[in-house]
Amino acid sequence: MQERIAEYRRIAVFGGVYNNALALHATLEDARRRDVEAVFCLGDMGGFGPHPDRVFPLLKGSGVLAIQGNYDESLAQGKTDCGCGYTDPRDNHFARISYEYTFANTSAENKQWLGALPAHRRIRLGAHRVLMCHGSPRVINEFLWESATPTGLLRRFVREAETDVLLCTHTGIKWHRALPTGGHAVNVGVIGRPENDGSTNVWYTILTAGPDLAVEFVPVHYDFETLARQMDQEGLPPEFSETVRTGWWTTCLENLPSKERSRGKF
Amino acid sequence: MSLPLVMPTSTGHAPVAPFLRFSTLWIQITGTWCNLECAHCINASGPKEPWLKPLHAEVARAAIREAEELGVKEIYFTGGEPFLHGDILALLALAIQTAPTTVLTNGTLIDAAMADELAALAASAPYSLEIRVSLDDTDREKNDRIRGAGAFDKAIDAIGSLHERGLLPIVTATEITSREHSDGRGMYERFRDFLKARGIEKPRVKIMPVFALGRLARPGGAVLSEDDLEGFDRGTLQCSEARVVADGGVYACPILAGLPGARLSEGGLEASFRDASLYHASCVTCFQTGMTCKNG
Repeated sequence: MQERIAEYRRIAVFGGVYNNALALHATLEDARRRDVEAVFCLGDMGGFGPHPDRVFPLLKGSGVLAIQGNYDESLAQGKTDCGCGYTDPRDNHFARISYEYTFANTSAENKQWLGALPAHRRIRLGAHRVLMCHGSPRVINEFLWESATPTGLLRRFVREAETDVLLCTHTGIKWHRALPTGGHAVNVGVIGRPENDGSTNVWYTILTAGPDLAVEFVPVHYDFETLARQMDQEGLPPEFSETVRTGWWTTCLENLPSKERSRGKF
Repeated sequence: MSLPLVMPTSTGHAPVAPFLRFSTLWIQITGTWCNLECAHCINASGPKEPWLKPLHAEVARAAIREAEELGVKEIYFTGGEPFLHGDILALLALAIQTAPTTVLTNGTLIDAAMADELAALAASAPYSLEIRVSLDDTDREKNDRIRGAGAFDKAIDAIGSLHERGLLPIVTATEITSREHSDGRGMYERFRDFLKARGIEKPRVKIMPVFALGRLARPGGAVLSEDDLEGFDRGTLQCSEARVVADGGVYACPILAGLPGARLSEGGLEASFRDASLYHASCVTCFQTGMTCKNG
């Protein structure tokens, strides 16, 4: 049976909520003001932040159309590891703390909801065929960093997926590349932690159909002080709340390619 | 010239790793030609009579072009010592315009002028250039016992030169001397602290297991059986997504490059996209440790 593809003119897309209900609330409010027809989330509701169950009423209540990230898959399947794909001992140390906290504090009902999310979504934005994935179309936790994702690989992805636009997240840093063959690849960024640029805001993406696709990255300011305080109260590592307060990544950065790593403080 | 490696005569009954996707191109650019002669070198590289010849630049160029067409994700140069190759900078310049590129080096040939060249290359490229400098111990005497006299100081100089120019070298160490330290710290922390103490603010460290290969090869090493692999995800092995271009053809992994049993094609890359035999004793190490030769 042919899959029915929904069509839109203007949508909001974000990834990586990372338990950050305050940023999620601010993002949804902001998107509403910008007149989007639908809001999509590319997965990883949990990790890093405090009080995991607080993000689910917002996601469900606002009708966010989500797909599954590696974190969601791990939580739903009761895995012992977040499946983020880190290989460095220091990254894995902090990833383990984050996952154990999130696993213990996510309700069975919400884990079940995560388990029911699709791995991919396809829509149309005007004439543009769009494929949404978490890491890459082929692997849920593949890191597509801007400086480590060749245009030749993106060309292959859009050709094999029979799409014009590829949307992904997972890395935590947004980017957009118009492909020489006419397609687009967009890493939509995350709203759960800042971008390792010394600013405390987070980012999401608005896509608007037209003769060509318009891609707009939107900064979201939220009450990061309250979030950081909640993280400290929950006993999460001080390195995590430091990132929220300063905008610099302090953990889970050993797998950054050199160009992205150079731009950060640590 | 004989291969100084333990090499089973038959691969007929060995289990295989399926080819899942092409992600990583390795270029064995200098074969086993190296200016050092490390005690634990996996392919017994050295300055005299390399058993695996360096690649002609045109072979490497053709591999990079084919890899781009096939949607490669990252490119690695290894050897031997890649900076002995006369065309290394031109090849890096081509590779880095194609995909993120990494060079595995002992660092001894990276002087200030070479560091300037690499920094200029990195700045001009859309993709990240990674330089992996091998160092086996944070102690000069222990390191040089494995890697040769003077290797420690030259590698440290290279790391400093690269750091000064904004490149972030990845220091790669094997566990060869790890039991000689009794301060309670793991290797990873010891290397990080060592680099930080030398002003490297963003220390990047990769630890590799020691393989019973090359100069450490011993006859009669155990090999994998189907029973060993029951329930194991063979897609996690690097031979399921990497291919190595070396003298003589295309091979399944960088550790076995040059060995006939690991050769999957005598021509192009695409012809090598088939199951890889897990016939060699070193396949046990990958299976047991989950290691990858990639950066991460």
